[in-house]
Amino acid sequence: MGNLDDAPCEEQGYAENGNGKAAATPISNGHTPKQWMNHAEEQQPHLEQGEIKFSAPAYTEIRTRSGGLNFKTVNAGSYHPAQQEASNGYANKRVNGSSRQQPKLSQADGILSAEQEHYQKTSFEEVPLHTACLTYLGFYLLMILGYINQLLFVPKVATEKKREGYVTLYDAFESFYSRYVYRRVRDCWNRPICSVPGAELVLKDRVTDDYGWSFRFTGTETRCLNLGSYNYLGFAAATGVCAEESEQRARDNGLAFCSSRSELGNTQQHLDLERLTARYCGVEDAIVFGMGFATNALNLPSLLGPNCLVVSDEKNHASIILGLRLSGATTRVFKHNNMRDLERVLRKGVCYGNPKNGGKPWNKIMIIVEGIFSMEGSIVRLPEIIALKKKYKAYLYLDEAHSVGSMGPNGRGIIDYFRANPKDVDILMGTFTKSFGSAGGYIAGSKVSQSKGFA
Amino acid sequence: MLDNIINFANYWWFRYLMVTELYVVEKWERVTIHVIFMLLFCVFWYFNYSIMLSMTSNLLGYTPLLANMLPAMSPGQGVKGG
Repeated sequence: MGNLDDAPCEEQGYAENGNGKAAATPISNGHTPKQWMNHAEEQQPHLEQGEIKFSAPAYTEIRTRSGGLNFKTVNAGSYHPAQQEASNGYANKRVNGSSRQQPKLSQADGILSAEQEHYQKTSFEEVPLHTACLTYLGFYLLMILGYINQLLFVPKVATEKKREGYVTLYDAFESFYSRYVYRRVRDCWNRPICSVPGAELVLKDRVTDDYGWSFRFTGTETRCLNLGSYNYLGFAAATGVCAEESEQRARDNGLAFCSSRSELGNTQQHLDLERLTARYCGVEDAIVFGMGFATNALNLPSLLGPNCLVVSDEKNHASIILGLRLSGATTRVFKHNNMRDLERVLRKGVCYGNPKNGGKPWNKIMIIVEGIFSMEGSIVRLPEIIALKKKYKAYLYLDEAHSVGSMGPNGRGIIDYFRANPKDVDILMGTFTKSFGSAGGYIAGSKVSQSKGFA
Repeated sequence: MLDNIINFANYWWFRYLMVTELYVVEKWERVTIHVIFMLLFCVFWYFNYSIMLSMTSNLLGYTPLLANMLPAMSPGQGVKGG
């Protein structure tokens, strides 16, 4: 969300530091760290060290880009509409009705023909064959070496004793994989972080002397671009409007009710949140839950029963798969984002009915897809799916965990992105964890599906 | 000139290590894998040399030039005997 474009400003800030000018340029997650403002002069001696660090290839690349684009203000390079509003990078101004009246179109809309636009919106780079083969080759080599290692050496970690009458905690392959394969590349991902994961984050440096068995901290830190976590809109920053308001709300109302809504009942905050969520999604009603994963895993069983057919994308998230298993519904999987395959599965389901019930029709047929597939990053072909759903009279469950807030000209998710009608999607599911930097999830839809338990 | 060649070789050696994930493993493991690769290469080379070559030359009806100079040899033996 504008990370790359904001970063150069920081770079220029460092460059100006040489002239004795304070580097008070906001960093891209929208705040100026206090220590930088206060110790701008103290930074002078560290500049050489900083220069070495920022001459790393990634930063050089950014600096090159900033040379080409001459932004007049800090936010000029940011394409995020919310960041244009507020100087500190937060959408803290309530947008007036006047600008909200007309739905804003994204820059890509309306330039190409409808067909090309749709192609561009859903295009996804296929993995080239040679890349796939070489990746497999690398993994096979690591596995072979891992097995040789396991044969020859005793691992330098605590091993599970095989005690009588106890089930082992890890199965053989799991412990093998984590010790001898994953351990080597562990340092690529499991790095200790010592800042808020905003547009940039600070990692604690560490080195290993024994190929990943143990690590030792060097005492230094690395500031780097964050390309690998949620908080898409930067709401989960340590300072700023969101942080202050959350703190104030927590002081006023407490952190938790320590019990479920079914036991203690609703509060006005629950109702407000649900009403706001429904308005945001453009549907009649919404219901919120305290956990994103559980929203899928525990609500799908209440929507589906044994005489239901679920047509599920093969790359759906584990929470959906768990929910489908718990529900007892029959699940048919179609190829990832493949509309031809989806139609084949749907047609078969409609034609042949439930084989366990003597071929009688299913109670309901539900298509379950994600907006942005969390494991792939691909975007669902929503218009085609809505067409198919109408053709075969199926229900559509759209998991917008990653897309809500981050897609579309108004940030309302994948429906906004395709300019579809929210009423065409029967159940909208989403989480507050990703874009909104909070916790929990919601299910939104028409009132009928909410109150009557959806058929 | 020499530097360029060394740079080029280093670059491709680095890519080779990256692609085969050998950059994360210990030295002796890397050597083991290289030895296995060399063995595989040799086995393939010998297979091609002894079997594929004679087979294809038989199929194409091609007799090696050497056959004219060497003592009589059945074509099925190919260059193996030579």
